[in-house]
Amino acid sequence: MELDPLVLMGFIRALIERQFMQYALITGVLVGLLAPMIGSFVVIKRLSLIADTLSHFSLAGLSIGIFLLNILRLPIGDPLYVGMMFAVIGALLIEALRSYYKNYKEISMPIVISLGTALSALFISLAGGFNTEIYNYLFGSILTVGRNFVYIIAITTFVIFVLIIIFYKRIVIISFDERYARLLGIRVGVFQFFSTIILGVVVSLSIETVGVLLVSSLMIIPVAAAMKIGNSFKTTLLIAILFSEVSVILGLWLSYSFGFPSGATIVLFNILILLLVIIVKKIFTSPHAEEATTFESEVQPE
Amino acid sequence: MRVEVQNLSFSYDYRPVLRNVSLSLESGDFLVVVGNNGSGKSTLIKCILGINRVPDKKIYLDGMEINEFRKWLRIGYVPQKLDDFNYEFPITVNEIMHVSRYSKMRDEEKLALFDRMGILELQNENINTLSGGQLQRVFIARAMVNHPDLLILDEPTAGIDSESEAKFYRIVNDLNDEGVTIILISHDLKPGKSNFNRIMRLTDGRAKTMAASEYFEKGVD
Repeated sequence: MELDPLVLMGFIRALIERQFMQYALITGVLVGLLAPMIGSFVVIKRLSLIADTLSHFSLAGLSIGIFLLNILRLPIGDPLYVGMMFAVIGALLIEALRSYYKNYKEISMPIVISLGTALSALFISLAGGFNTEIYNYLFGSILTVGRNFVYIIAITTFVIFVLIIIFYKRIVIISFDERYARLLGIRVGVFQFFSTIILGVVVSLSIETVGVLLVSSLMIIPVAAAMKIGNSFKTTLLIAILFSEVSVILGLWLSYSFGFPSGATIVLFNILILLLVIIVKKIFTSPHAEEATTFESEVQPE
Repeated sequence: MRVEVQNLSFSYDYRPVLRNVSLSLESGDFLVVVGNNGSGKSTLIKCILGINRVPDKKIYLDGMEINEFRKWLRIGYVPQKLDDFNYEFPITVNEIMHVSRYSKMRDEEKLALFDRMGILELQNENINTLSGGQLQRVFIARAMVNHPDLLILDEPTAGIDSESEAKFYRIVNDLNDEGVTIILISHDLKPGKSNFNRIMRLTDGRAKTMAASEYFEKGVD
């Protein structure tokens, strides 16, 4: 396959002329900003699997939504709303199970994932089986998003951005050191409740971009790459957002130009960047230096 | 800050850990708590920090009943281990201080605090690159960033070398000289290093407290 400049020109012309491409670009850029931003806090708290769990649970909501809409003919609008509701319910369910199994917190993930997948299978079947709509939910369909979705995601991004700016200090200290945050008198439980809901919303919105099966990669992989080269929290966050945006734009371009599935292309670019970071880091870090770092952080001599 | 503990007993799942512990500290006191593993040292600290919920009228902080007490920024705490801190993700010393600070501190004051803790040149370093002793001084600075008048340190010298330990005691003694009440938990007491004036030995949850002078005269047992 040849990547001549005309292909790039075609992409740029499509962005200028075609509304669906503009919607796709806006959605991609906003999700590319939101996902790693929220993903960073998830990674710090070692909860990387939570996004996957929530997206599977959200799929249950989407399938129920399709069933209600297509079979029972209920005027529920877009199945996306039911999906969002389920992502939030799933998030609260995880929190509840995590406090129930205090010493085996990770057990909450497979329980919620199983429930979500089972409900999805059941309602997909009740709604008439596998179809394009379901395929799009599984693997994403950024090129088909509509104006309404762009509004929803723009408002959500704005609200989450403002919340993060206002509560930045509290969110960061809770993520890094929950116990210390409690000692400072911060109401950790309240913050956790709201961040869980926000996480659910972001996951369900990201489904439109890369699909249920790939959502977690959008939140986690750019962060995984950035944390290997960032020196401070803020630079790591910015690098993660940069990686994510580059992947979204390149993914969108290839997906439009060659008809590749958009979600998969975006995620593969994310993985490519991660691989490059790992390789470059290996080349520029001598084995001796790496040894010294390990020694310092583990044995902690002065 | 004055600390008053009155006949405090505490159990985890019906297993008694503290039995009738009493303590009275005036502002500017320096108490060392010693005892074997499992003697109840950390449990006592968790009660004073409000992490373990205790019945009413058992602990008073500056005369205020602990369940009514809200001014938690007045207490600084340096944890025993850094396990609670998710430290593999990049964050600089400066950023930790920023997100831990909820009272006013001018830039000059912050830099003076860093200088005093010997971490001035480390302020823009990622904490993952710091040594054990450096990290510990960062965590003392974090505990001091809200101008506390009670500083609680849980086994702070475990796992650091003797030079860092000496530096650590100098800092804590200086803070105490300035009027900060100190509670220092220690696995074993090393006389001559800290300026403590009170000592408490915990044995199976029972406390015996005495003045430092008395300890040096008779020994703690």
